[in-house]
Amino acid sequence: MKRWWVAGLAVAALGVASAQTVVRLQGFGGNDTAIISSLVREVVNPALQKDNIRAEYQGVEGDYRAALLNALSAGTAADLFYVDIFWSEPLFASGRVEPLNRYFTQQELAVFNRNLLNAFTLRGNVYGLPKDFNTLAVQFNKDLFDEAKVPYPNQTDTWDTFKDKLKRVQAAVKDVAGLCVVADHARFGAFAYATGWRPFNAQGRTVLDANFRRAFEWYTSLVKDGAGKYAQDLGEGWTGGCFGAERAAVAIEGAWIGGFLRDKAPNMRYGTTLIPLDPVTKQRGNFIFTVSWSMNAASRNKEAAAKVLRALTSPEAQNWILSRGLALPSRSALANSPIFQRPGKENELNRVVFQGSTSVGGAVLPFKFGSLDGGDWMRPINEALLAVITGKKSVDQALADAQAELNRLVR
Amino acid sequence: MRRSQRTEALYALLFLAPFLIHLGVFFVFAFVRTLGFSFTDKTLIGQSYQVVGLANFVQLFQDPRFIAALTHSISFMLVVTTLQTFLALSMAAILNQRLKGITFFRTVYYIPSVLSSAAVTVIAIWFFQKTGFLNTFIGWVGSVAPVLLAFLAIFALAQALQVGWERMRGLPVALTDPALAAISLAVGLALTWTLVALGVVGPREARPPEFTWLTNSDRFLGIPIPLWSIIMLNTFTTIPTLMLIFLAGLQDIPKSIYEAAAIDGASPLQQFFSVTVPMLRPVTFLVITLSLIGTLQMFDQVALMGDAAPLDSVIVLAYYVFNNVFSGEGRVGLASAAAIVLALLTFAIVLLQRALGISEKAH
Repeated sequence: MKRWWVAGLAVAALGVASAQTVVRLQGFGGNDTAIISSLVREVVNPALQKDNIRAEYQGVEGDYRAALLNALSAGTAADLFYVDIFWSEPLFASGRVEPLNRYFTQQELAVFNRNLLNAFTLRGNVYGLPKDFNTLAVQFNKDLFDEAKVPYPNQTDTWDTFKDKLKRVQAAVKDVAGLCVVADHARFGAFAYATGWRPFNAQGRTVLDANFRRAFEWYTSLVKDGAGKYAQDLGEGWTGGCFGAERAAVAIEGAWIGGFLRDKAPNMRYGTTLIPLDPVTKQRGNFIFTVSWSMNAASRNKEAAAKVLRALTSPEAQNWILSRGLALPSRSALANSPIFQRPGKENELNRVVFQGSTSVGGAVLPFKFGSLDGGDWMRPINEALLAVITGKKSVDQALADAQAELNRLVR
Repeated sequence: MRRSQRTEALYALLFLAPFLIHLGVFFVFAFVRTLGFSFTDKTLIGQSYQVVGLANFVQLFQDPRFIAALTHSISFMLVVTTLQTFLALSMAAILNQRLKGITFFRTVYYIPSVLSSAAVTVIAIWFFQKTGFLNTFIGWVGSVAPVLLAFLAIFALAQALQVGWERMRGLPVALTDPALAAISLAVGLALTWTLVALGVVGPREARPPEFTWLTNSDRFLGIPIPLWSIIMLNTFTTIPTLMLIFLAGLQDIPKSIYEAAAIDGASPLQQFFSVTVPMLRPVTFLVITLSLIGTLQMFDQVALMGDAAPLDSVIVLAYYVFNNVFSGEGRVGLASAAAIVLALLTFAIVLLQRALGISEKAH
């Protein structure tokens, strides 16, 4: 008799489940799987219970973009998925992503940070709601600066004073570099933007002009002048790797370094400040790194997906993420969240990275490069940086080669 | 009779079915579709596509990166196949000796093939770094060179003296006599140790070379340095399998032939070139074919190198195909055309190899 009861309950549960609309979400694997799954379970699904909608997150391990493009092409992509700003534009232009203007009013969209929303807008259509974002900031190891008796970097530093401080630390502390320099536009570009240089001029071409050259010469001189070491020579691929291993006194990274340092160097005393100023323009530059939630144009549950999207980017959801120190909110109102004012090194990191996106951050540009694939556009610049840092080419030669390559690419 | 024949055919088909289905789905179907796509402008995210004829092939040969990938693939194939075949045969010949504990060495030498390519590549990235193992090791050898040279000199001198002494006594000893070598070794070690203790010779300060293996855009013999690193890595990981095939071939050669050659007065070297090499011809054909196809299709080690080496210095055809599909809008048409070129190239090279008489018949 008892067995019949159980079977009956199971059938009833199945019936309820099948009546539910399931909205599939797809995004990065790793930490995101744990974070978004908890968010969905604790915040999103309870809010959607009355509509009988259930969201399910699926993290993609490995190369996310390849998996997404493949799934879109095969018609198996989820209803909502992440789109990284870095490669967003070709995807938005393809018609595979649903414009969101039909599902959200102007007022609903206006609550998001304008810079972020613009980054996901193409020809007047909004193709994604910013999930969260990051900018660059300078992290410094207080113990190493104390040991070298050098004042900490601060937000009044220019390139020259910043470099001078790095040189003094590198000279004073054995086996420590000022900065682990990477041959990557994703770091160097922030300095180039400070000079007033832009990736594309009014004619839509990339011109490596005198301003670009000034930033390029300063950045590549760091290694030569003893203010930093080339990251790969120390066996690291990013500035945070050296910083976490206490082999560099500063790092130039976003808020993502917080979680890394929590695991790698939990007791490190570090501070965070804004990117240094260009001594000529007295400006800073910065990138906005962001990922959107976008809707599959081929989804069968678009109305339900829009509701899930609203719940995923609701103030409750963003507060949930922010209060756990996981990411920075994309809603402007949360800029004044008391969470940012709490003491502690990670809160300071989040605060400064958040400030990087505001007017204090100076010339802040989204981390994307027109209709081109970001990787393709950056490659000539990265190779020029590499060639000069490792002493294979002169600045003139490297810039001429990069310009020739860019002329071929940007038409 | 006809009925039983039909049943037999049916059973044959039944047993072959798993393989045929696999072949049909993953090779025939995929190949036909790739061939079809290569004449279109299909992209991964585009909604529709058109037939563009041979435009993709024309575009390929105008793309400097494709030309780089093609030259890299061909030079990689030539260098690695030569190195692999030569080293695998030498190692197989050495391991074919009847010595005590030889199975241990056979196992040890086979290990690189057992390791996963991903693990080996990640280790290789550290190995080849500017401050990595390779440069540190070279620096260490440089620093202890005086001690090593002193030891070698003493060893050679002791050996020469002993051999000279024995020959003066009329005994026909070889220069490499093992018993005398053991004494020379002891003398060499003792004297070197004394010299080091007295401070006459000593290690210098280690100065690892400032050479970068992976982030270097220089070329050696027309091949970029990072590609040389991958050549070393690939040779290291694929030799053991080929060595095993050679070893199996060696053990199939009848001992009577060697005995006959020995009676005719052939030296071991003459035996190797006049008996072993010709008898191994079918095996060599197999090894070279496998090696040519394998090296032309090499993909994993370039993909896993990732950002550790500049793309244009290591790109090969297989990676060019992948990179075109999964960057930008996903140029499936262009990538398919490149894949077809790679397939034709592989086919042509294997045919050329047969035509050149590296054939499968033993002489």
